Amino acid sequence: MIIHVTVNGQAYTRETTDYKTLLHFLREDIGLTGTKEGCAAGECGACTVILNGKAVNSCLVLAAEVQGAVIETVEGELKDGKMSVLQDAFVQNHATQCGFCTPGLLMSIRDLLNRNPTPSVHEIKEGIEGNFCRCTGYVQVIEAVLDATGQSEKKKELHHVS
Amino acid sequence: MNRAFQYRAASSYDEALGWLAELGPQGRVLAGGTDLLINIRAGLMRPETVIDIKRIPNIDQLSDSPTEGLVIGAGVTINELLEREEVIQHYPLLTACAEHLASHQVRNRATVVGNIVNASPCADMAPGLLCLDASIEVRSQAGPRTVPAHTFFTGAKQTILKPGELVSRILIPATTRDAQGGYLKLKRIAGHDLGIVGAALLKHGDLIRVAVSSAAPTPVRVRDFSTADSLDTVIAETQAAICPIDDVRCTKEYRLFMVGVFLKRLWQEVVA
Repeated sequence: MIIHVTVNGQAYTRETTDYKTLLHFLREDIGLTGTKEGCAAGECGACTVILNGKAVNSCLVLAAEVQGAVIETVEGELKDGKMSVLQDAFVQNHATQCGFCTPGLLMSIRDLLNRNPTPSVHEIKEGIEGNFCRCTGYVQVIEAVLDATGQSEKKKELHHVS
Repeated sequence: MNRAFQYRAASSYDEALGWLAELGPQGRVLAGGTDLLINIRAGLMRPETVIDIKRIPNIDQLSDSPTEGLVIGAGVTINELLEREEVIQHYPLLTACAEHLASHQVRNRATVVGNIVNASPCADMAPGLLCLDASIEVRSQAGPRTVPAHTFFTGAKQTILKPGELVSRILIPATTRDAQGGYLKLKRIAGHDLGIVGAALLKHGDLIRVAVSSAAPTPVRVRDFSTADSLDTVIAETQAAICPIDDVRCTKEYRLFMVGVFLKRLWQEVVA
């Protein structure tokens, strides 16, 4: 079947199979490999993208279902060769270690910030509950979001395991 | 996806029901997909065709009125329910259940109807729908029928749905509109997780209703209680109405114990 979508502001038309997931469509048919496959069962959030304004697990969506949709992926964070404020904050706070969960985390946080530009620590935790990170313990991720949203003073609410 | 199948998007109920009748067990209804696609990938379901019902007009109906109550169409997602002002205001037990269901990403796709059609014993929407005495509207080529939610579940992942049938809407009567209620769920972690055991309690005037998840082959509703009943009676009868098992997540005894703890907390919050 022929699928028309807009990804990160660019229109694409691709022929694909009825049973391909949006995740594999993005990676294999469009060539945007930033979005990762972790569990392929909606548990880990590594494949999170923003579909028509809402964060979804792209492993649980078929390409066939997104005809005409507007999609944002991690590649869209980069504007004119420059990383977003959020990405910079991830770097500054060591919120990326192995990096596999990072694209999904960035998309979940982007969705959260679209809904709530200055989330509390609790709201950030709720916003990323669908994203597993096995390296950071999440504290650095939350710190990055606080920095990116001008709320660095709230970092004192967090506890590092020493 | 690791298994090939065909995709069809129905533009009307008639079209979807025609395809379901034509395909028999080889056709599966696709709404949110958060259970179906996992089941297909795991080889638990092997449909030749999935029938997407999301393009059926008015499938995302979510309407409320003081006389008709709440109507939830088969396309309504958990987050759409959570974001609707009338639901927040008049059906607090439903939002309490919905908040516990999976993660934000899953709630953006998963549907309320899909949660009960999947019929997991741990379905988070079920205790709320049971307490609110919801009806399930079922359609097939033979016409529509409506069944009470408490007769919908017949076993673990089993429902009264027959081949060729689908659930089109959930109807919640206006009689318990504005009823207070809460749902508590035991999990291994603070984030999203399947329930180990859960309990819901609804209070409307003198009426008290209790339902439990993850404590029997189906979600269970206990008999109607009243505010004249003691908390001890409610706990004892609820524990007698369920039959939890030992599994990797916890023991039968702990499930029974936590149902008592949850009912005590809900009683203090909602009734006392």
